[in-house]
Amino acid sequence: MIPEKTIESLVLETHGGEISLTLEIINLVKSFPGFTLGPIDLKLQDNTIMVLIGPTGSGKSTLLNLIVGLTKPDKGSIHINDVDITNTPIESRRIGYSFQNPSLFPHLNVYENIVFGIRKSIRDNKRSQINRLVESFGVSNLLDRDIYALSGGEMQKISLARMLVTKPKIMLMDEPLVHLDTKTRVQLRKDLRRILKEEGVLGIYVTHFEDDVYALADSVSVLEKGVIKKTDTLKTMLTFPNNQPMSTSSLSEFFQKDHNYLEGCVTDSTNGITTFKVGEHEFEILGDYPIDSIVGVLIKPEDIILAVDYVRTSARNIIKTKVAAIYASNIKTGILNIHLVINNISLVSRITQESKDHLKIIEGEYVYAIFKATAPHIVREEKKGYKIS
Amino acid sequence: MNNTRFINFKLVICVLSGIALVYIIYPLFSILIFVEPNNLLESLTRPRVIDAFVLSIGTASVSTLLIALFGIPLAYCLSRYKFPGRSIAQIIIVIPLVLPPLASGALLLGVFNPQSFLDRLFPNVEFTQSIIGIIIAQTYVASPFMILASMAAFDSVDKSLENVARVLGKRNLEVFVRISIPLAKKGILIGIVMTWIRAIGELGATLMLAYNPHTISIQIYEDNALGGLSQAIPGIILSILLSIVLVIVYSIIVKKSSSDTRKNNRIFSFGDPWWRN
Repeated sequence: MIPEKTIESLVLETHGGEISLTLEIINLVKSFPGFTLGPIDLKLQDNTIMVLIGPTGSGKSTLLNLIVGLTKPDKGSIHINDVDITNTPIESRRIGYSFQNPSLFPHLNVYENIVFGIRKSIRDNKRSQINRLVESFGVSNLLDRDIYALSGGEMQKISLARMLVTKPKIMLMDEPLVHLDTKTRVQLRKDLRRILKEEGVLGIYVTHFEDDVYALADSVSVLEKGVIKKTDTLKTMLTFPNNQPMSTSSLSEFFQKDHNYLEGCVTDSTNGITTFKVGEHEFEILGDYPIDSIVGVLIKPEDIILAVDYVRTSARNIIKTKVAAIYASNIKTGILNIHLVINNISLVSRITQESKDHLKIIEGEYVYAIFKATAPHIVREEKKGYKIS
Repeated sequence: MNNTRFINFKLVICVLSGIALVYIIYPLFSILIFVEPNNLLESLTRPRVIDAFVLSIGTASVSTLLIALFGIPLAYCLSRYKFPGRSIAQIIIVIPLVLPPLASGALLLGVFNPQSFLDRLFPNVEFTQSIIGIIIAQTYVASPFMILASMAAFDSVDKSLENVARVLGKRNLEVFVRISIPLAKKGILIGIVMTWIRAIGELGATLMLAYNPHTISIQIYEDNALGGLSQAIPGIILSILLSIVLVIVYSIIVKKSSSDTRKNNRIFSFGDPWWRN
């Protein structure tokens, strides 16, 4: 057993300044009748947000329970900055945990719920911190309410705020948004990523929704039947060629098959058209987004048309690319995926065999990839400056 | 056809319910026949009746406190911890409820009689025919009410709330005091009231263990045995008055706690009083 002092001082130390935070899981195993989780090895640093995606029953919640201490592992260990916390009691780990249900205390009002984790004697000193989070989640008008009078979204915001005011350095989230309506979920997801970044929290977010991955993840891990099948950054995970093997594996269950993901910085936004820059290339999308914000978009392969010569067209995006590979799409016979690259950008276009023959597209040649500003589907929007690990 | 059948059903229910209610309330009025209005007040304030009444209230309160002190932790333990013999323990706690009180009294007499090991261990303590004896008898027979009610109350508390509190950095004791107890409050309070009522009404075990000094139950028993029902009237009337107070207290607890813990906490309840519907 680790003396608590070590954990406390560790947390204080990491709160203090720029000292980095590492969560490391080594060879963690937990068996239940008929199901075994692990062995799991995982290393996360600083304020990365990792989204853990996997089907129901893959052991996602169990992994979180192990990290927070609600479940004891059979084997393996969990370390925060090289301090073994495997046998540290839950209350001393200082790891935040947000459950699927808001689990608010029914006998306390909203404010009392939020400050529950802060000792009475230091609540006054923490007032600015409490206020900041309350404002961040937009619940300052609810503070003296009874919790029964709240909507599901409000409850979940308060639940998250309650956890975050205790200043955890690590925050585990078990599908906290799953029971909310779509509109609330989209908004809260955006807020959540912003707040986690502002608070500098290392987050593990469990989900079985693809959208959560796009909106929240710095890195993605896929858990299946108790084993982590793949871990990578969101960009790598979604960008060809890395996503190519995915389409034939179980990963394709979670991500749109062979889609294109572009992430860049907004340089201009006028008359409802926003320009964002990926490397040295500029793309245009519909909508207004703040200049300097980061946007992530998905483009369906069938929305990208190819031309061998430069053409004047109404489509606002036209980019000269090199054909890196041509392969049969697994969607339907006679349909081909054309893999295009230019600098760090990688795109997939889906065309028929006929078109390919007609245009005489061959590997190594240059073609123009064209798509309308309406084609990209925005999946991520955030302020610039969040460190993406 | 169906309609008539339904009406008949309703009629049967109403008649049976009516008989049951009359059966319960009728004795309260019939006792008035024996009341002699001229000296009622005088007989109500008869010192031996008042003393017995006060003794009952005092001992029942002490007994309830003692049962709460040991019984609530036991209830929590049985509700939360898994250990070998847990199901046996859950059966053991019901024994005083199932045993006829006279038998309980006899068992207690076996433990606390003047020749017993305990009596020799504490030679200066009067375990029988004393206030301590009364309390021993009351705590034994009344304990299941507190333990069962509290256990059901703890069972109904959402365990995930306790886990959240722990994740928020609270130690077990603080989780118990700030989450488990407040959320189980209603069931525990009902347990306390039921325990107290049982202790006040206790006769059988007390008869065996501590006939003297007289509690109100023993006073009524003795007055009736020696002088007939009319002699027992003062004790009976005081008991009825106390019952009315207890019914009111009970309904206040139920009402207050249900407004505290609406919706997601369905806590052990003996039901709401009829006037709340």
